[in-house]
Amino acid sequence: MEHSESLLLEQDIAKLIVETLKLKVEPATIQPESALFGDGLGLDSIDALELSLAISQTYGYQLKSSDPEIIVIFSSLRALANAIEKNRTK
Amino acid sequence: MHHIPLIGPYKPDDILAWEQNGPRTARQFLSDVTRLAELLPDRPTVLNLATSRYEFLVGFAAAILRRQLTLLPQSRAPQTLRRIAGDYPDSYGLTDREETIDGIESVLIQLRGSLAPWPDEIPRVPLNQVVAIAFTSGSTGQPMPNKKTWGALTAVAHATGSRLGIKGGDCAAVVATVPHQHMFGLEASVMLPIMHGLIMHAGRPLFPADIRSALADVTGQRILVTTPLHLHACVTEGVRVPPVALILSATAPLSRALAQEAERHFQAELHEIFGFAEAGSVAERRTIDGDSWRPLDGVRVVQDQTSWMVHAEYLPVPVPVPDRITVDARGMFVVYGRGADQINIAGHRVSLGDLNQKLLEIDGVNDGVFFLPEEGNDLVTRLMAFVVAPGKTSEEIQRALRTHIDPVFLPRPLVCVPSLPRNATGKLPRESVSELARQWFVRQRHGA
Repeated sequence: MEHSESLLLEQDIAKLIVETLKLKVEPATIQPESALFGDGLGLDSIDALELSLAISQTYGYQLKSSDPEIIVIFSSLRALANAIEKNRTK
Repeated sequence: MHHIPLIGPYKPDDILAWEQNGPRTARQFLSDVTRLAELLPDRPTVLNLATSRYEFLVGFAAAILRRQLTLLPQSRAPQTLRRIAGDYPDSYGLTDREETIDGIESVLIQLRGSLAPWPDEIPRVPLNQVVAIAFTSGSTGQPMPNKKTWGALTAVAHATGSRLGIKGGDCAAVVATVPHQHMFGLEASVMLPIMHGLIMHAGRPLFPADIRSALADVTGQRILVTTPLHLHACVTEGVRVPPVALILSATAPLSRALAQEAERHFQAELHEIFGFAEAGSVAERRTIDGDSWRPLDGVRVVQDQTSWMVHAEYLPVPVPVPDRITVDARGMFVVYGRGADQINIAGHRVSLGDLNQKLLEIDGVNDGVFFLPEEGNDLVTRLMAFVVAPGKTSEEIQRALRTHIDPVFLPRPLVCVPSLPRNATGKLPRESVSELARQWFVRQRHGA
């Protein structure tokens, strides 16, 4: 994937996160490398569930938490974008 | 009968649980419990924080054999755990992975050892032995303890099983999305299977694809113990699952429309349980059949001078129903909403007074109030809060709140205001807060 394309995907996903979870932050201010859950944006498992539905509808990728990678996938915007890029069907 | 065995009708080689790496038989379970019971420190109370449902059960059973009480905190928020450990100072923690809880001595559950022989008799537990304390949120900010006897837990398991037509020795497996440390999870995903000789799946699937693979792990009849939130996600995502015989939902009200969709999607009957931590499971209904709840056998809902009370032989005293209900001549009841101070977010019930109290305890917060907006189209409606804290940012207050309350109750948004519309007597009428929220939403829509 081209570098600029992956940045675009990151921006799209940041927008999806903010819109889905109605967060009070500008999508552009989400740091690609900082934590989405816990201390970062402070998201919880309900957010994870809502986000998984939005990701599945938008990108056709069904998240699984039994996937040993899940902690890694949700660790940051960049990790999530990489996982979506690898697994998307639309 | 004054005792009931620790587990129901299992033969030694029957599968009792399904773990990530395969089945655990009843023989292995009793062996695991006996060994762990010998290793537990000599203390009266234990915080069982195991994430695997099976390891939680081993810890719970071992504690029962040692006559120790298992504490079931409402959340894992560090401050909640510390507060409970402070109220029960001789407590220790039980965990199934390397984790430390500040200020609480912890024991790691380690299974896998040589197999002990099947005992001549399954250990029997006195019905009046208090085995667990479930904490609920009081209006004062202090967690309120609710004692659970072995008699109460086993009676609810048997009454629920008989209502749902579950028989001892049915070759069925329970897969649950609910946490086992919560009252409904303990009753429906731990006590229900082990009292009926069923298989208990140790996982706690979250995403629809996880629910599908947990169901696929087990064979025979499948029972899914879940919540409206997970059902909504499965139906929306249209995930194709292996055949399910029965769905049991609780923790938040389920709409009839979602119930119909879920029955169609899973091709299974969907039953709901009404209950609350103070009394445990109280009543059942098949949601598509109507609004009325039918009390479990042995449970009656009776009016006293001020409120409706749950009566059951296993409850030492009748317990008031926290919701507004009406009861018909047959003893069936309809629920109209929660009592004034109580709210429920995604199945987590809390007192608004308790949340307000915790908000006011934060350094730099002069005044503040939580508010639950009208339900919208979201999966879950979140709380908002208005806070008077000169010199503090909403992020700083959020961060402080996070260590005190369960994340589901964190306000979205937390709005800093110069003052709250308190009246002359210092009271904050609900209507004024509601107006404050309305004005805030209007300003948001206009991009202010």
